[in-house]
Amino acid sequence: MSSSDEHWIRSYGRDQFPHVLVVLGFALYPILLGVLNRTPLASEASAFLPGLTFMIIVLYMGLFAISFDFISGYTGYLSFGHAAFYGTGAYFVVLAANGQVPGVPEGTPFMITMLLGATLAFVVALAIGAVSFRLTGVYFAMLTLGFAQVMYEFIRHWGYVSSNPTEGATIPSGADMSIGVPFVDSLNFAVGRLSGDSFENVLGVGIDVSATMTSYYALGIVVLLSYFVMQRIIHSPFGKVMIAIRENEERARAVGYNVFWYKMGAFATSAFFAAIAGALFAAYAGGASPDNSFYFLVTADALIMAIIGGIGTLAGPLFGALFHEWFEDILSTESDGLSTYLEQLLPESVLTAEVAGLTINDFIGTFLDGRAPLYLGIIFVLFVLFVPNGLLGSIRDRLGGTVSKRLPATLERYRR
Amino acid sequence: MTFELATEVPLVIDTLERLFQPSTIARIIVEGLGKAAVYFVLAVGLTLVFGLMGVLNFTHGAMAMLGAYIGGLIMVLSVSDGTGALVRIALFVVVLAVVFALLTGFGSAFEYSLIRPIYDRTPMYQILLTFGVALILEEVTRIVVLSQGIQPEPPWSGAMGTAPAVFTERYDILGAPIRGLYAFEIVLGIVAVVGVWLFLNRTLYGLYIRAGSEDPEMVEALGIDVRQAFTIVFGLGTGLAGIGGVLLMWDPLWGPSALLAIDVLLYAFVVVIIGGLGSFKGTVAAAILVGIADSFTTWLFATGIVTFTGLPELTIFGLLVIMLIIRPQGLYGVEEVGGH
Repeated sequence: MSSSDEHWIRSYGRDQFPHVLVVLGFALYPILLGVLNRTPLASEASAFLPGLTFMIIVLYMGLFAISFDFISGYTGYLSFGHAAFYGTGAYFVVLAANGQVPGVPEGTPFMITMLLGATLAFVVALAIGAVSFRLTGVYFAMLTLGFAQVMYEFIRHWGYVSSNPTEGATIPSGADMSIGVPFVDSLNFAVGRLSGDSFENVLGVGIDVSATMTSYYALGIVVLLSYFVMQRIIHSPFGKVMIAIRENEERARAVGYNVFWYKMGAFATSAFFAAIAGALFAAYAGGASPDNSFYFLVTADALIMAIIGGIGTLAGPLFGALFHEWFEDILSTESDGLSTYLEQLLPESVLTAEVAGLTINDFIGTFLDGRAPLYLGIIFVLFVLFVPNGLLGSIRDRLGGTVSKRLPATLERYRR
Repeated sequence: MTFELATEVPLVIDTLERLFQPSTIARIIVEGLGKAAVYFVLAVGLTLVFGLMGVLNFTHGAMAMLGAYIGGLIMVLSVSDGTGALVRIALFVVVLAVVFALLTGFGSAFEYSLIRPIYDRTPMYQILLTFGVALILEEVTRIVVLSQGIQPEPPWSGAMGTAPAVFTERYDILGAPIRGLYAFEIVLGIVAVVGVWLFLNRTLYGLYIRAGSEDPEMVEALGIDVRQAFTIVFGLGTGLAGIGGVLLMWDPLWGPSALLAIDVLLYAFVVVIIGGLGSFKGTVAAAILVGIADSFTTWLFATGIVTFTGLPELTIFGLLVIMLIIRPQGLYGVEEVGGH
């Protein structure tokens, strides 16, 4: 705690110091990447650092993992069907862009459809929660999974979505997917892998902002806002009750809290932000398919990110997502990963050298190329066994409190 | 969608008329029981493990996948075009035994080395650990299978092709053409039900399981080495998953593929939860219920009465949700089983 004679702005600013650092890190990263690409280290940078497209995945998957952690890490109810809400957000936005949602005219700004989709997910979560919260533990996890699978199977075969529902639906090319203030053109930035806004020579200082970069910053702002809303809820009395439910639900009830409605509120809030993550994903990817939105493995990804980053710490899953995507990136050839780097670095004679009937080239192709799930699985198991609190949770344990509370004091100690 | 009396009512009458023909009923029941047998074998290991330890084993599907591939490998290596049907069936039985032994050992080793250290944590960590191991098993299988020039998905047709012709042909039962494999599956399913029943009711470890699913602490207090029982039962549950995988090897709806790791898991969950986690009787009843529902909705779709392609899957998961809404503990489950 800060001393009482200090001005509150000062102490507040000090509390926010780690947040500022993280936000700055994310904000400056594309610039760092751009600078590195002009130095002799360019090939190393593209091999070992996550590319910008992967950083965008970090943002929306990070938000999804945070929302998953919001319910699973803070109330202790494992929401195994969380992909249902992510999918709801994604499909709502896609269908709205196609003018297929009754009552939402075609051309409604993305920001509005995103919030509408999130509200829908909020309502769906209340319905699912009303049934699921009668049960606890494994049963709750299975019930939410069951609901998600029903929605997955339904959306996979629902002819209304598109002519080939198994492949999902796409956003029409003319649709305006902009993040910003609705109806104010100059404050709107179109996002999308292919159709985003790009700016040349920004402010006349010779910096070009590519479409990917625009998407990165626009998504980043939404993720940041969502994070802070969730962070405020966790630190509010409501959040304290959520933690009380996790620690000892019987006691929380005995103290007089209506735990059922607290759980419902937490679940619906988490679904709201999961849907926002889904909407961001759909807007950026230009569509959604059942397998990358409603499927069980999407929840599984969030779970892995939350565990690695630190379940029960709100920012942890974002770092888990960063780790996850960094791994995916360096182990894929899509954007010059490790295998491409090794193939260029190692001389031909080494690559074709045989060790036990296997050339190094085969080895790279078999064990590195696109094998991220294998190593992530191993790392995940090691985390579960040996680092159950995850990255951020373990740092907190070491510092003896949240990073924002403890970091300044710790730094102070080292300065002397 | 609007309900138009003039067209809908005749359609309903027509459907009922077609449904109550002997050929339709025979088809739905025989196919349904065949599917039920598969569902039972896939799910029973999961329910045994949960009943005793309260561990929801997410590697279950991956183990079935391993069983399917190992079984397929042995069959492909030992069967040639000229091999007769009886020899193939005899080989199949041998494969069942081999896979059961291998996976029982593997499952026991897995429980002993990885799950045992984390029993004192919340059940969530056992879910997470087994889930992570399932991911690893699936990826390793993909790598190995690919290195042998077999596509991990769609299913491995080479292994499916080792089924004897008597199983792939269709036979006329009360006017309905039914694949011979279903009869074989029903027989194996009955053997599995009887076998597991005998194990549970006539052996010492069966007694431990039944007692442990009632009250694990009391069992421990009576001086029984519950940890050792855990290891053995986990092994047996894994072995049963492997047998389920071998059963899927010849089934044209499944077949050995990397997708089994998740598909089997999800279907096994449905059966186990509808039946009641940890209940043997419930698993039998739920397998029959899900099997019949599956064959009925497949029939509805095949005859064009319902055009929604995902109907069987949707129905099965729908059954799960409906069951959990009206009876959360499942058909024969005891509430709060497994000590949490």
